[in-house]
Amino acid sequence: MTAQALFIGFFGLAAVWFGIVVFRTHSMVRSALALLFSQTALGAMFLSMQAEFLGVLQIMMMATEMSIMAIFMVMFMMDPGGLGKMDMTHQRRLSLGTGVVAFATAVTIALFVDWGPITSSAPDATQQTVDLGLELLGRSMLIFETAGITILTAMIAATAVAIQPAAGGSRHGR
Amino acid sequence: MGVELLIALTTGAALFGIGLYGALSQTNLVMIMMGVELILAGAMINLVAFWRYLHPDNPAGQMFVLIIMTVMAVEMAVGFGVAIARFRAKGSVEMEEATELKG
Repeated sequence: MTAQALFIGFFGLAAVWFGIVVFRTHSMVRSALALLFSQTALGAMFLSMQAEFLGVLQIMMMATEMSIMAIFMVMFMMDPGGLGKMDMTHQRRLSLGTGVVAFATAVTIALFVDWGPITSSAPDATQQTVDLGLELLGRSMLIFETAGITILTAMIAATAVAIQPAAGGSRHGR
Repeated sequence: MGVELLIALTTGAALFGIGLYGALSQTNLVMIMMGVELILAGAMINLVAFWRYLHPDNPAGQMFVLIIMTVMAVEMAVGFGVAIARFRAKGSVEMEEATELKG
C-alpha cells in the first residue's frame, strides 16, 4: 500500500467519523464544528490525491461556510449548547435503514464495476491550474457563467425571502 | 482496481449514507441542510477520485467539482433565507411544525 493510499484512508476515516459526530452530539454548535472538521478532512483528502487547487478551495470555502452555520445555529436553536439533551429526530429507524442501504449499494457498485485502467500519475499543481483555467474560460465557459449567475440569483432570492416585512403591512411595505 | 480509488469511493458512499440519514431523520431545518451538505460532499469526493485515477488529463472532472461547490453555496444561501423567514413568521425552524401546505 502506498503512502498516498494511507493518507487518503486516514483523512477519509476522519471525514466519516466527524460526519457521524454531526448527528450524534446534542450540541448544535458542536454539530457545525464537526461538519467543518469533516469537510476539512475531505479537503485534506483532495490534497492527498494531488488535487491541490480543489483541496485548498474546499478548506477555505468550508471554513467560512461552517462558521456562518455555527452562528445561525446559536441564533435559531432553543438549546444550542445541548444541555437539555432535546431529541430533534423523527423516523430514526427508517432513516438509518435508508442510509445503510444507500451506503451498501454505492459500495457494491464501486467494488463490482470495471472502472478501466487506473492512472498513477497526475499533472503537477501548476499544470492542473492552467488546464482548469483554460477549461473554465474555454469549452466550459457557458457552464461556469451559468454557475456565477445562479449564485447571484440565489443571493438576491435569499435576501428577498429573509427581508423583514414592514410592521403591520404587507411584504411590499404598503 | 486501484486501492486508492476504492478507499475514496467507499468514503464517498459512507458520507452519502450518513448525509441521507441526517436529511431524513432531523427535524430542524439547519440540521437537514447539514445532511444535504454531507450528501454533496460524498458526490464531490467521487468526482475528484474519478478525475485523479481515471482521467487526470481531462480538467472537466475538476470543473464538475466547482459546480458541486456552487450547488453547496446556493443551498446554504437559500436555506438560510428560508430559515430566517420561517423563524420570523413562526419563531422556530422545526420542520415538524411546518404543516401549512399539508394536503
